[in-house]
Amino acid sequence: MRRRLADYLPLVVIWLPLLISVGHVVGFTAWTTWLSFTPSDLLPEYDWAGLRSYRSVLRTENTEVAYINLVIYGVGFVGLTTIVGFVLAVLIDQRIRAENLLRTIYLYPLAVSFVVTGTAWGWLFNPGLGIQKFVRSLGWSDFRFDWITDRDFAIYTIVFAAVWHAAGFAMALFLAGLRSIDPDLAKAAQIDGAGPVRYYLRIAAPGIAPIAISVLVILLQFAIKTFDLVRAMTGGGPGIATMLPAVVVYDFMFQRGQLGRGSAAAVLLLLSLLLVLLPYYAYAQWRARKERARG
Amino acid sequence: MLVRRRHLLSGAAAIAVAPQAARAQVKPRVTFISQWSSGSDGAAISGLGKRLEEEGGIWQHSPVPGFTTEMMNKLRADIIAGNPPAASQLKGPEIAVWSKIAPTVNLDPLVAAANYETLIPSELIGLHKPQGHWIALPMQVYRTTTLFMSRPAMKKVGADKAPKTWAEFNALATEMKKAGITPVANGGIRWDDGMKLEIALSGINCESYRAALMKLDPKALKSAEMLQAFAQLRKFADWMDPAIAAQHYSVNLPKFLKGEMGMLMMGGWAQGVIKNLGGNLDDVLITSVPQDEGKPVFVLNADSMIFWARKEADLTAGQQLLAKLMMQKDVQEKYSQTTGSIPVRTDVDLSGPAWTDGQREASAVLNESFKSKRVLLSLAHNMAQTNPITAAMIDVLTEYVHNDKVTPEQGVARLAAAVDTARG
Repeated sequence: MRRRLADYLPLVVIWLPLLISVGHVVGFTAWTTWLSFTPSDLLPEYDWAGLRSYRSVLRTENTEVAYINLVIYGVGFVGLTTIVGFVLAVLIDQRIRAENLLRTIYLYPLAVSFVVTGTAWGWLFNPGLGIQKFVRSLGWSDFRFDWITDRDFAIYTIVFAAVWHAAGFAMALFLAGLRSIDPDLAKAAQIDGAGPVRYYLRIAAPGIAPIAISVLVILLQFAIKTFDLVRAMTGGGPGIATMLPAVVVYDFMFQRGQLGRGSAAAVLLLLSLLLVLLPYYAYAQWRARKERARG
Repeated sequence: MLVRRRHLLSGAAAIAVAPQAARAQVKPRVTFISQWSSGSDGAAISGLGKRLEEEGGIWQHSPVPGFTTEMMNKLRADIIAGNPPAASQLKGPEIAVWSKIAPTVNLDPLVAAANYETLIPSELIGLHKPQGHWIALPMQVYRTTTLFMSRPAMKKVGADKAPKTWAEFNALATEMKKAGITPVANGGIRWDDGMKLEIALSGINCESYRAALMKLDPKALKSAEMLQAFAQLRKFADWMDPAIAAQHYSVNLPKFLKGEMGMLMMGGWAQGVIKNLGGNLDDVLITSVPQDEGKPVFVLNADSMIFWARKEADLTAGQQLLAKLMMQKDVQEKYSQTTGSIPVRTDVDLSGPAWTDGQREASAVLNESFKSKRVLLSLAHNMAQTNPITAAMIDVLTEYVHNDKVTPEQGVARLAAAVDTARG
């Protein structure tokens, strides 16, 4: 009897939480998908409405603006964060003094929530309160920096704040990668006469490619579900210029009391996440097969 | 729908019978949720609660600060959990929508006893008895088409009176712009932009507004007056403070009071806000926004309470007491004096020193518009349409205000298309 319990205990400990969490995720995803095909408004209803919600979500301008923004924001945020993170990691990798202090400073923004980041950068970018006002008060009275109130540029202020927020995180991962490269490799490269630029681009970067992929995927799913940053920084404005898909979902579900349309928007968001995750999955499979082939 | 009419009525009947028997034993209690947590709104609702306590009741208010929709999310959660508050804030056409998802209280006997229907603007009556019975009560009225003029700014350009037509308004704004004053004091939040169209259109033609924004008549939505209103909205946009980003209009009030900004088109509640900021109302000229037809028009916004059916004797007794208080003259006077609104009852005398000139003027316009059938319901403040339609329309308007590449013609077409999509 005692042996049996000992046998089963690990299974119970692992499977029970797993089942509950999978049940939650899959269950609610299925429920949301179901709701997206119903005419639900304030409360869930279970009549069939076909694609009505999808059609109306896709026809609103908010959705169109949101997905264009997602492309700008996704590419800008992921690209810049990766580059800035890598450069910071390389700089810190130089065995400098006060490394711990600097690393903490760069990592610090991640400890701040997106809402705080958004609010603070919202103030800094605000031409009447922040950077523009400050520079003008120094004497450059014609200085203009009003991107956040310009509908064509506002999305880039969001990109900037998000990069500021996440660059430290990318740095930490890259740094761990750089440190895990065999020091003998660096020495060998040095003896062969490779300078630091060559070392990092030709030897270190390929060595940490798997980490770079992880960073990209983590950042991409960050980008796709970004919500609080926009909400705190611009509220989706000016006009609807900084809408992102997650904001659209929230808008339908909780601002307009249209559960059906909100669910449809959420399902569309899930599909766009799959667009990112499926290629990654395929890549991982391909890599695994290659490794196996190599033996 | 989840709740059948039968249940609604039986719930209502139970409420109507219960209190007489119960009042002897229990202390009337009201559970209430609203967004009014601070400022003049918070003070006014606390005043009402105190009054209820003086009458022997218990007042339990759980404010949900922030936008109205956040309060509504809490309300929805409470209703789904089967535990709605005895009363909650809710307004306009949403009263009809929400009354279908949970049983409400029939207030007909109380309203009839107070002879209330003869005392309030008829536009309000339908909103509060959606299925033929009173289930909600309005508590205060605001005019959204109020023009606040900064006297210091007027002095700078030598203006001595308020513009009466849009042509005069535009000329004055151009003068102000030349003098280095930002002509239009505004906020950067969506409803602020949406409200500017209703101000323009109601000031151009009252009946076009009724047909387009209240009845959503497709022809009226594409009418010449609508196009004119969009053109005026573009002018407003060009005169607004470009530096305001996603901020409340009250951020600009200090500049407005100093005369760095000229004109604020806002609801009457701005009076309460100016007073709360420590501003002096003598620096401000309060009047109606321009009206090209030359006849007064009143775009109305009202705050209301809806009463949710409860079985507990103390709550039903509390509901009766609260409803009775809300219809009383003295209670409405106190409430409006705190917030800067005007009372719902049209028989209140506003000549006393506790009222401001702005309130007197708004009340006079309401009475006149009431007689000439020129009372309209506000679009941007969720009085004219249900939440989803309003939100879809404001999407178009806020985008139009912030994107000067959209022409008035495109604006009109987009608004009509958004209405179609939101209804479909």
